[in-house]
Amino acid sequence: MSLVSENIPGLSPLEKLRSLNITPTVALSFLVIAIVIAWSLAPQLFSGHSPVNGVPADKLSAPSLEHWFGTDHLGRDLYTRVVYGAASSVSSALVAVVIGVVIGGLIGLLSGFFGGWVDVVFARFVDVLLAIPKFLLAVIVVTALGFETINAAIATGISTIAFFARVARSEVIKTRRATFVEASFLLGGSRGFILLRHVLPNASRSMLPLAVLQFGESILVIAGLAFLGYGDPPPSSDWGLLISIGKDYLKWPWLVYAPALVTIVTVLSVNRISRWLRKSH
Amino acid sequence: MITRLSALSFSRRTLLLAASIAVSGALFTSTVVPLPVQAADGSREGGEITFLIDSLGDTWIPNNSAISSFQGHIWGHVADKLIYVDADGKVSPWIAEKWEQNDTATEFTLHLKSGVTFSDGEPLDAKAVVANLNIWYAGRKNEGINPIGLFPKTYDRAEAIDASTVKVFFKKPTLGFIPTLGYHGSILISPKTIAQPANVQADLGKTSGSGPYVVESWKEGDHVTLVKRKDYNWGPAAVGQTGPAHLDSITYKIVSEPSLRVASVQSGQADVAYNASPQELKSLKEEGFTVATPRYLGFVNGWAVNTKLPPYDDVKVRQALQAGINRQEIIDTVYTPDWKLATSFIQSNVPGATDHSDLLAYNPEKAEKLLDEAGWVKGADGIRVKDGKPLELALHSNPYLATSKSVDELIAQQLGKIGWKVTIRAYDVVTFGEKVKFGGPAIPAYEVTRSFIDAGTVASILTNANNGENWFALDERDTTLNALRDKIAGAGTVEERKPLLDNLQKYVLDQGYFIPRTQIVQRIYVQSPNLKGEVYNGVAYASYYTAYLAK
Amino acid sequence: MSNAYLTYAGKRLGQAVIVILLAYIFTFVVVSILPGDPITSVLRNPQNGFSEQEIAEIIAAQGLDQPVLVQLWHSLSAFLTGDLGMSMRSNRPVATLIAEVLSSTLILASSGLAVALFLAFTVAYGTQVVPKKYGQGLLRAFPSLFLSTPNFVIGLFLIHLFGFQLRLFRVIEPDGFWATFFAAITIGIPFSAQIAEVLIANLDHEAEQDYAAVARSRGIAPRRLFATHLLKPAALPVVTVIALTVGELLGNSLITETVFGRTGIGSLVQRSVSTQDLPVLQAIVSLGAVIFVLVNLIADLLYPLLDPRVKIVVGRKRRHAAADDAALGLEAGAKP
Repeated sequence: MSLVSENIPGLSPLEKLRSLNITPTVALSFLVIAIVIAWSLAPQLFSGHSPVNGVPADKLSAPSLEHWFGTDHLGRDLYTRVVYGAASSVSSALVAVVIGVVIGGLIGLLSGFFGGWVDVVFARFVDVLLAIPKFLLAVIVVTALGFETINAAIATGISTIAFFARVARSEVIKTRRATFVEASFLLGGSRGFILLRHVLPNASRSMLPLAVLQFGESILVIAGLAFLGYGDPPPSSDWGLLISIGKDYLKWPWLVYAPALVTIVTVLSVNRISRWLRKSH
Repeated sequence: MITRLSALSFSRRTLLLAASIAVSGALFTSTVVPLPVQAADGSREGGEITFLIDSLGDTWIPNNSAISSFQGHIWGHVADKLIYVDADGKVSPWIAEKWEQNDTATEFTLHLKSGVTFSDGEPLDAKAVVANLNIWYAGRKNEGINPIGLFPKTYDRAEAIDASTVKVFFKKPTLGFIPTLGYHGSILISPKTIAQPANVQADLGKTSGSGPYVVESWKEGDHVTLVKRKDYNWGPAAVGQTGPAHLDSITYKIVSEPSLRVASVQSGQADVAYNASPQELKSLKEEGFTVATPRYLGFVNGWAVNTKLPPYDDVKVRQALQAGINRQEIIDTVYTPDWKLATSFIQSNVPGATDHSDLLAYNPEKAEKLLDEAGWVKGADGIRVKDGKPLELALHSNPYLATSKSVDELIAQQLGKIGWKVTIRAYDVVTFGEKVKFGGPAIPAYEVTRSFIDAGTVASILTNANNGENWFALDERDTTLNALRDKIAGAGTVEERKPLLDNLQKYVLDQGYFIPRTQIVQRIYVQSPNLKGEVYNGVAYASYYTAYLAK
Repeated sequence: MSNAYLTYAGKRLGQAVIVILLAYIFTFVVVSILPGDPITSVLRNPQNGFSEQEIAEIIAAQGLDQPVLVQLWHSLSAFLTGDLGMSMRSNRPVATLIAEVLSSTLILASSGLAVALFLAFTVAYGTQVVPKKYGQGLLRAFPSLFLSTPNFVIGLFLIHLFGFQLRLFRVIEPDGFWATFFAAITIGIPFSAQIAEVLIANLDHEAEQDYAAVARSRGIAPRRLFATHLLKPAALPVVTVIALTVGELLGNSLITETVFGRTGIGSLVQRSVSTQDLPVLQAIVSLGAVIFVLVNLIADLLYPLLDPRVKIVVGRKRRHAAADDAALGLEAGAKP
């Protein structure tokens, strides 16, 4: 990772693409993520069934051409439930990451940039958050907020603030000490200018892969909270919730393993992309 | 109350109720109770069983935990009651051999069995019973020991006349006193334990009852192991056994996942799984496991409608709700044929319950017609609208019933077809208790799961008289209902009360005040085939006092 | 090492105490926001049939209607004298409750850690020894797969395969050897991924160094190279990863204990959360903070001893920079 404030100029789009070094697995990962995003934006394009209303007489039927993932205890098509659940799973993970990155990033940015007592106060706060096991923190916060997926997302986000604050702070300190920033200071650049023009872009560049990675982890943490019963009430169909409902019907294993597989493949793809981002930037 | 025995105890208001009649009545009329024939070689004796349960509740302070759906299982084996109430609501003697009451039902005299002792050696005598009655009524609130909620608030005092006679005084007529003694809250605990402070009472290992089992070991959140008390000799005659239990020990072990509980019994790792998922019952039966779905005496599972909250202040909307639910589909989809259709708002096994199936028939056309008449017009999206407002129903799934969410989801589909917009909210137990109340401002329908022993108390729970719970938020508005309530409270005999109760049920259902879903089975037992002879009481708890392992 | 070291250690200790106290207060504040409390929730059980008025009377009788700040003051001053208070849910001393379950969780966490280390070192070893054409890439994919699988799915899968299909253990005896073993796998797998990622990255980095090239040119076998040259420098940052994640084992025990039906800190948290049992939650959060702080303190104090390149003065910063990367499995070694 090098400290640059601008992209290298003079590359054609094709060359740029080539320089990105996209391997087949990365391409596949992007495809998976594209499908998941499409599911969350327009689920009705991917399934003709209803995610809420089933045919009670068809309950608990095995996977087939008609029902790819089988049907649940109320006769609803599980594939459809997974497709419609994508929006909630994706957006809640996004919320978690945004909370972590924005609040954590801000804390790190300010304490790294200003140092002194700002740094000390934030450092203690971060220490406290860091000292409480993340999942325990998320569970306590979600209990305080109420059992809903969005609250689970907020709780997950809060539990990652400390981490992002740490990373942002160390990046900011690194950047501040870089020659070109020192030079900018000497040339009379204002603090705000330097913060926005040099420190922020550099810090955010190194935080992007981490944010992507955290996105994947957030999906898992929120699913874990849903598994313990801290998710949305029915008939919503977040993936974690589907697994959690499925575990009550272990005689019909697809109810657990189909949503679990979708979750794993999605998170795997996200992680692959994160790794690729880290290497190619 | 339809049995001969209780007819005697409640209607004639005579001074005498002979235990002999009661015992013989219980013995000859009971067909559900297996009468274990003692095998000569004692092959029924011995054995250990493991009972897998979702949870073992919170505190073990007897007063605070006796009504817990989970801890009640342990108390049922560790402690005895004064009265036995069987699955049909029939009252029979237990520790109280016989009892008498005065004409106004304000004074009761209990005659106790002699020779009964608690496991700490204390005698279960009149003094011990007085100590129990007092703490049931008052608790020790400043210490965190609660009163027993359903114990009659009209209690005045109790006196030990001699070692085996207790006289109990009430401020007002209290016909329900005797059946209450058979309720799961009314467990007899050693006076030594009762005298202990709350934090000692919270240690189950230090609590002594007079039951057929004693606590051998326990660990919070993990298990309770009970062992047989060899000198036990005062079981309820109604279960056909009074001597010591057959099984040497019973271990109640927490396994929180229902599917794991069932799978453990299936693979022979445990003997009983509590609260299995109804979906699994059919195949379990086919595999030869014993499946028991006893119903408790109480209300059916259903909604108490908040008549203050529009649009449910409109009787037509309530009646549309009543007709718009396909109850058979609930049983077919969420449950199994072991569940019974609701025929009233009280369970059909409650003495005094009458059949009002006609009022509960699924009739979507009628529902749509009623909604049309009430001015709710179907919009383009299929949801009915009136004055720009959609026809909404917010459901709060009852956290005390595992299948509640699934039933809510199914009903949401059914009502969706006739133009209802149903939303489902699911809270944990704490939040539910805090936010969801009868007649609450945002609670159009409160999902009821509630047991009771005597149908006579129902009417006053529904209204707000005498600390009633005002289930339908009617206050004093419905004079018909209030008149029925007063007549039921004043009824002198069961015969007199019966037609009144019938009227009450018909009226409440017809007005759409109470919307039944199904008869409730709150306790489901899956049992290995070689465990036999257990008995279910009036609150649907399984007692393994009479049970044995077939060899 | 004497004076500077002692000052440094003292300062770290002071910070540790402050962090623990703040964590205690933090929990109090968060849980105090909650509506309701365990007492009322027990009273509101519909089977009880208490009226609102009766509930209010009982609450007042126990002094639970005091202002929040007064309650905080009482509990904090008790905490400072080592009194963890009484559980509101079970009416038993919090210290007893925790003592009853602590050993089970410690066994789970330590065996989970052992499983994680074993898996991580095995996979990392494989990446250095297995040639590219024989599936090295597959081995490298393992950490990512481990990191992407919800551990409750792993747990459910293991229980079904080994508990019910192969009958290796009885689900109702979760403290038995095999049950503990599979629970340890469940909790250990995500951690093995984190450790393995750091380890592999560092091994790759070390393998590119001149000394490794020289060794290879002399014809040293990959196995010997791994054992004699690469392992030690690459394994050092693992200490940091463990220090940072060992507290997470406590948090993650929630899911694993729930799935396997173990009685431990995790299941105690779940019961306490569902009944909002504040004293227990505060005690457990403080315990988590104590463990975290202690382990990091030990790691901090050990690090200068293990790695002679690190001096005490810069020790903390250097380690934490590495830690930030390490915690998420960044290729720390590859960074400038």
